[in-house]
Amino acid sequence: MKVTTSKRIEEIVLKVLMWLAMGIVFAFVFSVIWTIFSRGVKAMSWDMITKLPGGGFYIGKEGGFLNAIVGSLYIVGASTLIGLLISIPVVFYLNVYKSKSSRLAYVARLAFDVLFGMPSIVYGAFGFTIMIYFGLRTSLLGGIIVITLLIIPIFIRSMDEATRNFPRDILDASYALGATKWETLKVVVRQIAPGIATATLLSIGRAIGDAASVMFTAGYTDSIPTSLSQPAATLPLAVFFQLSSPIPEVQDRAYAAALVLTIIVLILSIGGRFITNRFSKNKL
Amino acid sequence: MVNNRIVKDRLAQGVMFSLTIIAILFVVVMAMGLYLKSSPVLEGRSLFSLLTSSVWKPMKGEFGFLPFIVGTLWVTFLAILISFPISFLTAIYLTEYARPVVRRFVFPALDILAALPSVIYGVWGMLVIVPWISNHVAPHFMEFSSGYTVLAAGIVLGVMVIPLLVSLFIEVFTSVPAELREASLALGATRWQTTKKVVLRKTLAGLLAAVVLAISRAMGETIAVLMVCGCVIGIPSNILESCYPIPALIANNYGEMLSMPLYESALMFAALILFAVVLIFNLLSRIILYRIERREE
Amino acid sequence: MAIEIQDLNVYIKDAHILKNLSVTIPEKQITCIIGPSGCGKSTLLRTLNRLIDSTDGVRLEGKVLVDGTDIISSGPEITELRRKIGLVSQRPCPLPMSIFDNVAYGCRINKMYKRHRDLENAVHENLRAVGLWDEVRGRVRTPAARLSIGQQQRLCLARSLAVEPQYILADEATSALDPISSKTVEDLFVSLKNNYTIIMVTHTLRQALRIADNVVFMYLGEIIESGPAQQVFKNPKQELTQKYLSGAFS
Repeated sequence: MKVTTSKRIEEIVLKVLMWLAMGIVFAFVFSVIWTIFSRGVKAMSWDMITKLPGGGFYIGKEGGFLNAIVGSLYIVGASTLIGLLISIPVVFYLNVYKSKSSRLAYVARLAFDVLFGMPSIVYGAFGFTIMIYFGLRTSLLGGIIVITLLIIPIFIRSMDEATRNFPRDILDASYALGATKWETLKVVVRQIAPGIATATLLSIGRAIGDAASVMFTAGYTDSIPTSLSQPAATLPLAVFFQLSSPIPEVQDRAYAAALVLTIIVLILSIGGRFITNRFSKNKL
Repeated sequence: MVNNRIVKDRLAQGVMFSLTIIAILFVVVMAMGLYLKSSPVLEGRSLFSLLTSSVWKPMKGEFGFLPFIVGTLWVTFLAILISFPISFLTAIYLTEYARPVVRRFVFPALDILAALPSVIYGVWGMLVIVPWISNHVAPHFMEFSSGYTVLAAGIVLGVMVIPLLVSLFIEVFTSVPAELREASLALGATRWQTTKKVVLRKTLAGLLAAVVLAISRAMGETIAVLMVCGCVIGIPSNILESCYPIPALIANNYGEMLSMPLYESALMFAALILFAVVLIFNLLSRIILYRIERREE
Repeated sequence: MAIEIQDLNVYIKDAHILKNLSVTIPEKQITCIIGPSGCGKSTLLRTLNRLIDSTDGVRLEGKVLVDGTDIISSGPEITELRRKIGLVSQRPCPLPMSIFDNVAYGCRINKMYKRHRDLENAVHENLRAVGLWDEVRGRVRTPAARLSIGQQQRLCLARSLAVEPQYILADEATSALDPISSKTVEDLFVSLKNNYTIIMVTHTLRQALRIADNVVFMYLGEIIESGPAQQVFKNPKQELTQKYLSGAFS
């Protein structure tokens, strides 16, 4: 019996530790969300999200950060679109045209995993050198290019995961009817649409929150860009720059911008989870 | 008609093939671009001296990266030290113990942690962690600390790495077949004994790979760290001093570097260091993880 | 030392998997559970050592008396119960360690021996008991995964025996093996019945005919008929049993 109690005690101790660990995770989540919301809501006002920075904005006068919201939407919208156009064919190629043991598919997946792991600051630095090479200045276009490069690996990885579990029998059934691979894709698309949707939401979340890469490439401005060659402000940089100001009113705006950014990201994340859950329920 | 269909198929295949190849080549192009840009600073200076000198005087053309490298290592080490036990225990609970109800609550929480942008963590760190260190932790050890320290950066980064580590750990643990666990349980082992002696034993390589991946992620994290690390050039002697990791160095000086080619080159070299380390770490750990995944199939 | 099952019901989520099972499993005999696949044989086996607990959404009702204690409600220390009831699974499942450590695993978990000498003796003895000793004598420190599949299954049996159980559950323990290894393992079970109460799930009727002392016939989660093998095989009382035995369905 002594043996039994000693292993039982060990079991209980470990279980308590595990509960503790999960408690800490929850505590972190609540702490971050609470901090952002409690500070952000105080600083929030209608003007913040509907107005451009006015004169003397950076010493605490009138205005909002509509420039950053619109800038972020421009960059993320465009790069999501371009990103999808490039990633979807790649994912299909890897999953439909290449077999599971294909050498090329292996190297490609490895490459995308490595790109996925690259810090955004490296993307930023690289994007910057490219822009200099082509004689571009910090601009909307630069931001779009870099964010597109940044999210393609995210797109491909998450869509690849959704597609990989796709039953091969369905492909075979389609081939058996005499369809080419290209025609078979239409069957696949319908099946993995929810996976693509989730991947898109996740990638948008990553793209909209990334500051280090756009810092070099999109720059920052007080106005809404009207052409691709003008610089564009972004939400994460609005938070970052305004927070570094010593003036409390300006800092407050940073908190308000942080709140907006957090809400956007939360909606995207919850939306992604929701689709995943619906999707897997249908599959069962 | 038939020909038309087949041409279409070929065409699509060609386009997809080239897109895939371009994507693979991108890794190479990135490496070359950064290398070319950093070559001026490498001229006349040995790689060894760049990495081991601690004199940083861009105006005089002296670039010693040691303080930044040490800063990066400190912060990363601390982040892993904090996040490892939390992620490890959470992942074990979720795979070995938890009922589906628990998972339904924990996964969304991890989702949120994973989704929050770096800059938000930075704000949180400035508002919560930095004052906490300045007011409650540092006074026990020293007269005054602003709170912008290695410790603050380590904590913030640690929290950021948790969701990545947990998801990697879960992936690794679930690759262990259920029969193996049952064989152990059927002999009278407790869950923890089974985990310790069978699951962990079987997944050691995978765990290592996961940690290496997390390290590389932590090393490259920029904005959050930049906001709480203090950005003071120097080699920190303890975790309550400020530091200046490599990504923060790059991000903080992008404006000034434009006017000085050599400075720009030095910062690109910093980016190249990051690129190289992350590349190697990622390649190693991914290859190990692929092996595990394949064994599962 | 008998196992008495009284009104056992098992539900998984909304599905009623085992329905009102009542049967007594006599000690030191081989009891074969037969029936078409999906009839709940394996679930019953997993209930007896409570491995079923790890299934999501499972609910147990009724009584299973092992040595007179109910293992469903009173919940004796579950690990102790499992130590008393050995399991040999369908596919051999060596743990990721050496041959020696596989057999020693349970002994170490349960801290059965203080001195290494005793542990070593116990391991060797159990390897001998399953006829593996002569085959692996020189390489007990090599990974168990290198053994042939038939050897692995005997190793798993040795591993179960090493924790000194009173009961052995076998879940189609020979189905993954080649005919010769299958015969070896089958003979082993017969030789073990003097010391252990053995419960075997099998889907090959012929195997049951060869070795069973008692037979429990299950169909769609219910026990249709049970009793001494001679009686069930020669004079089945139920029509369903007759049909199954005659091969009308399987």
